[in-house]
Order: sequence, then C-alpha cells, then structure tokens
Amino acid sequence: MIRKKILLLGDFSVGKTSLVRRYVDGAFDDKYLTTIGVKISKKLLTINDVECELLIWDVEGSTPSKKISLGYYRGASGAILVSDITRRDTVNGLEEHKTVFLSENPDSQFVVAYNKSDDLTEIAKENIQLDEDTFLTSAKDNSNVEALFVRLMEKMLA
Amino acid sequence: MKNIQYILNAILSKDIFEYILVDKSLHVVNISAGVDKYIERVPKVGEELLAILPELVGSEKEIKEIFSNKSLNYILETVYKNAYYINISIEYFDNEMLLVLLHNISDITLSKRKLLQYSNESILLNNTLQTILDSQNALLFVTNNNEISYTNEQFMQFFGVKRISDVRRKDMKIYDYLDSNLNSYDELFERVNSKEEYLTINKDTFILQATWIESTHKLFTLTKVTKLTNQIQMDTLTGAYKKSYFNTHLEKLIKNKEEGVLAVLDLDDFKDVNDTYGHQVGDDVLREFSSLILGNIRGDDIFARWGGEEFLLLLQHTNVENAMRKIESLRTLIDKYTFKHIGHMTSSFGVAKKEEVDDIHSLLQRADKALYEAKDSGKNRVIFKKI
Repeated sequence: MIRKKILLLGDFSVGKTSLVRRYVDGAFDDKYLTTIGVKISKKLLTINDVECELLIWDVEGSTPSKKISLGYYRGASGAILVSDITRRDTVNGLEEHKTVFLSENPDSQFVVAYNKSDDLTEIAKENIQLDEDTFLTSAKDNSNVEALFVRLMEKMLA
Repeated sequence: MKNIQYILNAILSKDIFEYILVDKSLHVVNISAGVDKYIERVPKVGEELLAILPELVGSEKEIKEIFSNKSLNYILETVYKNAYYINISIEYFDNEMLLVLLHNISDITLSKRKLLQYSNESILLNNTLQTILDSQNALLFVTNNNEISYTNEQFMQFFGVKRISDVRRKDMKIYDYLDSNLNSYDELFERVNSKEEYLTINKDTFILQATWIESTHKLFTLTKVTKLTNQIQMDTLTGAYKKSYFNTHLEKLIKNKEEGVLAVLDLDDFKDVNDTYGHQVGDDVLREFSSLILGNIRGDDIFARWGGEEFLLLLQHTNVENAMRKIESLRTLIDKYTFKHIGHMTSSFGVAKKEEVDDIHSLLQRADKALYEAKDSGKNRVIFKKI
C-alpha cells in the first residue's frame, strides 16, 4: 500500500482542521479552536485501483507573529494550501505558503482551497477564478472537500 | 536488555518521557510501558516504528542516516496524539539501535494554546471591527491634544490618502471648511457637539456630528448627503439651486469675509415668450437658459433661481475683473444661442462686488439695481454697480 504525507497549510482560522475533520470523520463544528503543533489523521482511499493511505498533517496556522516550523514540511508529497475566501489577507498569503512549501519539497504537488464558500453569495462565487487545481470549498456544507483531496492524490500518483 | 530498560527508566521520568528502541530497519527492539497512552494500543516488539508513529513517514531516510553519523538527531515538535502533546526526538543509541524519545509536553502546550487562542481571536475580532468601521461614514478620531489619532478607510478615500500617517502629515483641518474663524478641533467640537452642521467640501455636502469617545478622544462623523441635499435644494424646472440654498452660501461668504461677486440676471422680454407661445414653451426656454449657464460656470460657482425668469449667480473666490469677464462671456453665449422654439433671445446682468460693509440684503439690492439699469439702458448688457 502506498503511503503519502500531505500537509494542510494556511493562515490561522481559515478552516484547515475543519476540512480534515469533514474529510476524515464526516463531521463539522463551527466553534473555533486554534490548532497548535500538528495533528496527523489517516485516510484510506483507492485511486485508479491503487490503495493508498493518506497521512494528513493538520499543521497549526501561521499568525502575524508566528511562522510554521519547517520541521513539519519534511518528506511531504503534497499540500493543500487553504485560505478563507472571505478574508482577502489569507488569500494573498497563499503565495508565501506555496513558496515555502515548494522550497522544502521541490518535487511535490499542491492544490488550493478557497474555504468557507458557504459565506458567499452565488453571484460572488461565480466571480471567483478557479481552475482544475483550485477549489471553492466549504467544510460546513461539505462542498468540494472530497474533490479537493482526491485531486491532490491524483496529482501525487501521476 | 533489562539493564538498558533499568537505566532508561532511572534517568527518565515515566510521566514525562517514554522511549522506543529501534533497530536499523526501524523495527521495535524495546519499548517503555507508557507508550501505549499515546497510540491507544499496546505496541509490540518487532513492530514497524512507522506503524506506531506514522508522523515519521517521509523521514525514514533522514532517520537512518543517524546510524552513520551519531551527531545527527531528528526532532519533531508539538505533535498531537491521543489527547497528548508530545515532542518526538530520535538519536543514536549504539551501533545497532536508535533511541526514540517521546516527551510529554501537554501541560505547557495547553497553556501556550490558551494564549494563542486568545491572540488569534483578538486578531479576528480586530479585523471584523476594522471592516465594520470602514463600511461606515467617514470617521475621524482626535485626541484631547488636537492630534488626529485615527481615520477610517472612508475618510481616507474621500481625502485621497492611503494611510493614517498621510492624514497626520497633511495636518488635515476639516474645521477650515466649516468656518475660517475656527482654530482647532476643540473649537469645532464645541460647535458641532450641541447641534450637527452641514459641511461643504468642493461639491459634496456632509452632515458633521461629534461625540466623546471616553474622555480622551473626540469622534467626528461625516455623513455624505450630497445627492439628497441637491435633490431637496434644487429647482425642479431649471436644475438651478433654490433661493434658500443660495442665501445660505451667500451668508456664509459674507460671514467668512471671503471674496465674491454677485450677479442678478434674467432673459430680456421673457414675458412676451409666455404671452406669444404659451407657458410650456416659456418653461422650455428657462430650462435651456439654465442649462447654458450651468454648463459654463465653475464647480464652486452657485447658480440659483430667484423666481420667474430671474436668476442669481455667485462667483466665489474671484476678483471683479475676472468675474466681469466671465459674466460678459455668458451674456455673449446667450446672445449667440438659438433657442429651440423661438430662436434668438438676449439676457441682462446686474453685478455687485461683495464689500466689507455688505450684508445679504445690501448686496442683493445693489446687484438688482444694476439689473434695472441694464434693462433701462437697452438690455442685452452687463452693468456693474459700485457701493
């Protein structure tokens, strides 16, 4: 069985833990409880008849005064870069998360999540530019969460 | 092996540290009794280390390198496992084994987490408040020392600055727009605190209000009401201002001892238009006349309908020479214009300069007399009357 380590990276309070919880446990709680350090969850999935164990690293969010420990980046095959679509600063911050991640893991893959899309109107959603690696997600209403993780796994196995 | 276990147990507190000894293929050789609390089961000798600590997946190569270089070590900090926070460190033990130490840091990490939670919530709350403040009317906070301490996005947008530091550097004195006799935000506050005032900046009108924020700051709120004010204060037929609005500005100009020139103007023989073509055509002529004037005056000039076919024009912050040139050009414009229904018409202007001794009545009276003189002396002309 193939084992892959992936990271969820992004600013604090963008919903990384909620995405993992939705994907792994199928649950959601909108109470904000900040993550400190890292918590690893496992998920078994089959992609193109290949059984895989996904080790999902829910990494603490970076804050204005605290950057993420580079130790967490070691050996990752992929990353989900998460932002809160209602907070522009977190969307702007994605570029830095991508740069640091790829500098530590140059051959790795990533996808992007514009999370908390349930807070947007339908018109606002239509105005957001997306591509095959960028998803409007909502852990609250389970929108595109599965597609996000599967897309990253597909890219890592390609 | 029992010796090793004995020694390790002796040097490590069981409550804080647990250990795993692994061989070169990273399989368990020995293990302390408390490791199970982190992984919810009892691990076995011979088991793969990565099955116990999947956190190490991806780092196998780096870990095995420790065998060849005993000064190396591997550290992974603050890992949340089964309701505990632990640090995982791996170091050389002997030629055949590595020592994996699991350090329970739950107490200190939970304290740190409380602080982080508080800090993050504060930042989120601050961001939310900032968004609310920016969505409001233009806001200006001033200290008791008359220093600007904060302005919101709306205020900065209106005054064309990007940062609060720019507002401070420019030393914006909004009280100058209300009354040139005001010298500080304290004086402005005294004036506005009791009753709101209208403040005109360029072509925009604001309602200015003030209130205390604690005892250290004053908050000035500027609510833009330009559109509403214009609708209320405009003559619906001609689009010129109403006389009441004109009077307010004229009074302010006189009170503030500002320079200005007043013209009273009307269309010559307009009564004949109404009598010959009817009032509908008369209204159209007034609309065209008004449109011509409005399209050829400056932004801060004020054009108003006095009544009937008589209009008022206040040219602010200009001297008599320039004003006369402008008024003469307006007269020529009308003279050369072809009105839609009736063709050619002319206009007359009576002009007076605001002098120090003038009040609103004396100034209006002098300009009105000048208009009569223009009419009596043949119409289609501009007459200036000195005091």
